[in-house]
Order: sequence, then structure tokens, then C-alpha cells
Amino acid sequence: MNKLLGTAAFAAAMFATSNASAFECKRSEASFDKPDGFPERALTMIVPYGPAGGSGQVAAAMAEAVTELTGIPINRDHKPGGSGTVGMTAYMAAPADGYNVLEHIDDASSAHALDSSLPNPAEDLIPLVISQVTFSQVYIRSNETRFTDWPSFVEWVKAQDGKATIANVSKEGSMERVTMGFITDAADMKIQQISFDKGAPRYGALLGGQVDALFEQPGDVRNFLDAGQFKPILTIFDERPEAFADTMTHREAGMDFEPLLRFRGFYVHADAPADRVEWLQWAFQRGYCEDSYQAYNESKFMTVIDSYRDTDGAKDLITRSVAQYRDVYKAMGLEVK
Amino acid sequence: MIENFLAGSAALFGDPFTIGIFVFGVIGGMLFGAIPGVSMLTLAAILLPFTASLEPAQGVMLFAVIYCTGTYGGAITAILFNIPGSAENAPTAFDGYPMTLKGQSGKAVGAAVLCSAIGGMASALVMMAATEPLANWAIRNIGPPEIFALVFFGLAVASSIGARTIWKGWMSVLIGLLIATIGQDPVGGINRYNFGIGDLAAGIAFVPAILGFFAVSEIFVQAEKKASGKYKAPKVSMTFPSWLELWMHKVAVARSVVVGFLCGILPGIGATLAAFMSYGEAVRWSKNREEFGKGKLEGVISAETANNAATGAAMIPLLALGLPGGALTAMMVVVFQMHDLQPGPLVFMLSPDLIWIVFAAMFYANLSILIIGVVETKTILNLLKIPFQFLAPLILMLAATGAYINRGLVLDVIVMVLAGIAGYLLRRSGFSIPGIVLGLILGKIGEQNFAQGMQMVHYDLGTYFSRPICAILIFAGFVTLCSSVYRAFKSPKSVEE
Repeated sequence: MNKLLGTAAFAAAMFATSNASAFECKRSEASFDKPDGFPERALTMIVPYGPAGGSGQVAAAMAEAVTELTGIPINRDHKPGGSGTVGMTAYMAAPADGYNVLEHIDDASSAHALDSSLPNPAEDLIPLVISQVTFSQVYIRSNETRFTDWPSFVEWVKAQDGKATIANVSKEGSMERVTMGFITDAADMKIQQISFDKGAPRYGALLGGQVDALFEQPGDVRNFLDAGQFKPILTIFDERPEAFADTMTHREAGMDFEPLLRFRGFYVHADAPADRVEWLQWAFQRGYCEDSYQAYNESKFMTVIDSYRDTDGAKDLITRSVAQYRDVYKAMGLEVK
Repeated sequence: MIENFLAGSAALFGDPFTIGIFVFGVIGGMLFGAIPGVSMLTLAAILLPFTASLEPAQGVMLFAVIYCTGTYGGAITAILFNIPGSAENAPTAFDGYPMTLKGQSGKAVGAAVLCSAIGGMASALVMMAATEPLANWAIRNIGPPEIFALVFFGLAVASSIGARTIWKGWMSVLIGLLIATIGQDPVGGINRYNFGIGDLAAGIAFVPAILGFFAVSEIFVQAEKKASGKYKAPKVSMTFPSWLELWMHKVAVARSVVVGFLCGILPGIGATLAAFMSYGEAVRWSKNREEFGKGKLEGVISAETANNAATGAAMIPLLALGLPGGALTAMMVVVFQMHDLQPGPLVFMLSPDLIWIVFAAMFYANLSILIIGVVETKTILNLLKIPFQFLAPLILMLAATGAYINRGLVLDVIVMVLAGIAGYLLRRSGFSIPGIVLGLILGKIGEQNFAQGMQMVHYDLGTYFSRPICAILIFAGFVTLCSSVYRAFKSPKSVEE
């Protein structure tokens, strides 16, 4: 399976972006003329997840930043359900006039990879900006005594003969399930994945000892890390981010696969008027640079690696992700439509 | 504890602006909970950005107060018009609305006011006394297998509620369970019964289904009576339950506090399961099960005590561990984060003042339900004087708005109408609407936890019985099931009207 994973170019792109550096706004224009008065009223941002989760929060932070910058209010319309499909369907049915924008995550790319009749975020939509890119980690309880690091964890898991458990969001074809497949193949171990669709029961399962480990992104468990309750034992990224300098990467653990990243971004319909799209690109890319948005990203460990992709960078990331997922799905024997 | 509580009270009432926020939260929560079409979540979402400009304690306290009073607010419309303000108020309608039809609306609303306050205050007191140990006990001992067993235990009694025969009661529950399977399966994400409709991938939402089965089907039933000249407008009754009546239900109140608290403390579960489980327990322990669903005061008492008891309990995993129990507590995490705070063990060490202001505010918010609720009720009961020909379209409009507004999907309005038609026909045939709704709501929670539990025990069902709490609940559920089947065979018409 590993042979199918990604391309050298993708790996190079990831390496190029992996070193977090002092923040530098990539969009220099402080202002941008409105095309024919657009927008003359509030924008609507469709968010395919609830207001309290990662997507809901990043949507709120970006909406606030864009409004600070432009004075244009943004109404958030949450349409949760179906792993983002309900929100995507609603967005595709909304007028392509530039007044409707969409927040979505990498699930849209993996969904398209599995079923090409679903919208391709790089073609059917225009990415305005990807404002969060992050990696995954494997966590254990800090007071765990059965294992303390990745090698001892693997040894312990192997000794359990498939009885060890890890909590994640293991929906069919999800980034989590695919990555766990890579890990178990590479480490030659069996571990039972327990699927929790909500964060609280997932984290509670690890805290309470209902599961042995947790697969998650660092920003989502920051409070548990700060409180010293969780400890990362494996970073699924090509090099050690500075914030997790003590945690080994999957490469160092001898696993030779390209990491799948979680990314969240903002989109507009591909048929929206070009001049309006241009203004929206400026507003959202510049919104990323606002202090309030940067403070939010920092609080979520989203400055550990480069979280920013402009339209071209986002298209590149999405296209490569779709190709990578598609190869993996085929290798997994899933029906790729 | 008392010193801290007094200090929290002093901080709460020592600043006029903080008092203003508290009063706003109390009234806003009640109003948004009571008005069909919006909910306490709507209010919380509107207020979320504004909390950034408040002190951290004020922001968190505001949401906690809204949570308490909003949970109660939905009971009023559930009782008077068969429109539950939210899913956790649906069991209140099971008996509350039949009481209204019997001219006992004042008694039902009075019991809801009093029991919401009692449930809320009791859980607030337990929350103050033992947040950290309780949270740690819950996450260590209650996992998906135990939650599934709890749901199974609750469903085992559901056939007894409101159907013409026990067999029809079971059919009603199974219909609810079948509806609960629509949408993506909870662990694999595989679409089921969505017939290619993208919006159905998320399943049937609770609120439109409840509005259809309760409010819309009731409109059809009453319209039929009106057309055939059999309609009788419900009498407006201002008679509250007597102290003797309430004292006679002390065991139900105590049991509901315990059930509500235990359900509320589980991360990700919250007040909805609490209300349904508590109602189920009231039925299980009653000698007159056949009276439930037909206007029994104990039904209202059990549901309303439990859903408010869950509010204090839901704060326990949130504050002690940073684990929200539902949508509103998840928004509270965001309020914390907006002030560079994280709920969890550190907040007790770093911000004890904030914690005790919140605890005190929740206690007084539940007390306010008692005071404001009595005054409010005297006014709201007069809505029943509106003639049916004006009231019915108003209810339909509010129900349609309520169905649409949560997700902004026309599909939800269609679901509401279809549920209304189906509910009307099923009621005529002697099936139980509460049974269907119980099956739908508990089915979703139960299926998810069963699937997670099976993964956890490596698909060895026998392992469920090696977990003591799980084994006891499943055994008790089977006993109830067997007893139900025995009663059905012994007297097939035993629950016939």
C-alpha cells in the first residue's frame, strides 16, 4: 500500500511548508476596490458542521476577521450532517453570485475521491484560502504505565493480539481510517479502532481508560495537552514540529508513507462572477493575516506548520489529496466511482 | 463549599451589570425555550460573539443560566399545544398535553415549573459538592456498552406507553427504531435508506419528527373533531397541583433527579436521554402503566425533573474534564476559549472564582424558574382561550418554522408534514406516538453506542456481561421485556382504552 502513497512532489511540497516561521502575510494589499459595489450586503457562509466544533470555530474566526477588514457582515449558516454532505448539497444549490461562500474540510476532497459525482473542491469550487493545515498524532494518557512511547506502545499492542483499542473518527474512507491503515500495515500490528463522531466522548474514552490510545489533531486536544492529561507518542508528519520536538515522527518510527493532512478552508462557487471571486480571494486571504485570526490559529496549534494556502496552493493540495485518496481507496478494495 | 457558594453569590449579586446579565439569561432562556421555532441554542448562537466583550465569568455564567431556564421553557408549549420546545421536552408532552385536553393545564404547568426548579437545584447542589470525583467516576465506569445497556433498559418499558395493546406498543417502538436507522450508520458512515437524497444522509432530525408526530397530528385530530362537531375547547385551568399531590410524587421526583443526573453526567448524552429515561422509569415503577400517555401527572413530573437535573450534571464533565455533554455546553467551551481559558481540571485551580459564580448562578437560575414560572404561567395559560380556527394555523406556522430553522432544510418541513400525517393515521389505529418517538430518539443513541461497544469488546457480545453495570441493566431490561410479553399473553387487551 505504501508504494501507492503520494508522489515525491507531494512530499517535497509538505517539507517545504513544514517549518513554521515568523508570520508573514502573503497578501500585501491593505485594500481592494469593490467590483461594481460588490458586496453591498452581508455574505452568507454555509458551514457543514455545528458551531462548536473545529469547523464552526474556524468559520467564526474567519468571519470575524473578514468583517473587521472589510466591514461586510458574514452570516454563518450551519448545516451539519452526513459528514459534510448536507452542507455541500445546500451550498451547491445556493445562487453562485459571490454572496454565498462555503467552509469545508478535507472530507470534501476524500468524498470526491471516492465518488467523483460529488463536487470536486478544486474544480467545482474556487478555494479562496485554506487557513488551517494540520497533522495528526497518536495520544496516550500521561499517567499511562503500560507503555510510555511509540516503541513500547507498538510492543504492547502486538502482545494484545488485536485486543488493543484506539479512539478516532473511523468512518469509511476517512483520513483517520486510511492513516490508521497505513500505521497498522507499517508497524505490522492489529488494533481495534473505535469510532466516535463527537469529540467529547472520544476524549472521555481515553481519559476514562475505555480505550488505550487516541488518534487526533493537536489543536483539538490542546486543553488536555496543556493540562498534562494527554501525551503525544507519534507525530504523523515528515519532520518533528518544534512544538512537539520530543515526539517521534512516523518516518522515524520506520513508517514510509506520505502523511494525510487535515485542512480547513473557504470556497466560492466556480460559476461566481470572476471580479467578485477576486475580491473574495483578497478578503479571505487578507483576513487570514488579521491579528484576531492569527491569535485564533495560534491557540489551536495551527501555526506549528504553515497553515496558509492561497487559491493556487489550495488547488494543488486538494488535487494531490484527491489523487492520493483515490489510489489508497483502490488499494483498499473500495469501490471508487 | 458553603463559603465558596456564598462568595460566588456575593460576586454574582454584587455587581449591577452581572445581575443584568443574569436576569437577561433567565428571561431569554425561558422565552427562547418556550417559543416554538427557536430554542435556547438559537439564543446562545446569537450571543456567542458578544460574550467576547464580557468578563469570562459573566460570559460562562450567561450560557449556564440560559441552559437551565431554556431547558424548562420548552415544557410550556409541550403541555399547552403539544409542541415540545426541544427534544428533551417531548416526554413532557406525552402526558402534559392530554392533561390540557382534560382541563388540567394549570396542574401540568405548575408541576413542570416546580419540578424543573427542584431537579435543577438538586443537581446544582450535587454539582457544587462533588464535580471532580463524579466526573472521574463517570468516565471510568460508563462507556458505550453501558450507555447502550441503559438505552435497552429504557426501551424495554416503552411498549407500555399510550398504545391500545402491548403489541401495538411494540410495533410503535419498532417503527421509531426503523426511522432511526435512516441516514449514515453511526460508525462506518455508510448511507442507509436515503434513496439518493443527499440531505437524508444526516438522518431524520429529532425536532421536525417530534413536531410532526405531536403538533401536526394533533391538529389533524382536532380538526376532524371540529368537522364532526365533537370538538371541545380545552378548559383554561389556573389550578396548580396541591402540596399533597406533589408530596405523593416525592419518590418520582427523587428517582427522576437521580436518573436525570446520571444521564446528564455522561459526555455527549445530556438532557434528552435523561427526560426519556426518567419517563420510562416512571412507567416501569408504576402500578397503573396504562394511565401513562393519557394525562398522568407523574409523567410530567418525571420528564421535567430529569431534564433540568441533567443541566447541572452536564456541567460536571464540562468543567472537570473539558468534555461537553451537548450542543449548548459545547458552545460554552467556545466561550471559555474566547477568554483564553480551557474548561478542565486547570480551571478549578486557575479560575475558582469563575467556577463558583457559575455554580451560584445555576442554582439561582433554577430558583428563578419557580418564581418567574408561576407568574409567567398565569399569563400563558390564557393562550388556550384562542379559538381553534385561529390557533391551529398559528401552531402549524410555528411548527413549520421550528422544523425549518434548525438546519435550514425544506426536507425537514416535509418530514414534519409526513410525520404529522403518519402520526394521525397511526393514532387512529391505536399505535403509540410516544412509543415511536422513544424508539426514534433512544434508537439513534442506542445504535451508536451499541456499535461502538461492539468494536470495544471485539464483537464478542458476551463481554458486555462481564461489565457489571452493563450486565445489570441488560438483565433488568430482559426482565421487563419478559414481564411485558407475559402480560400481553395473559391479558391481550390489558391496556386497551
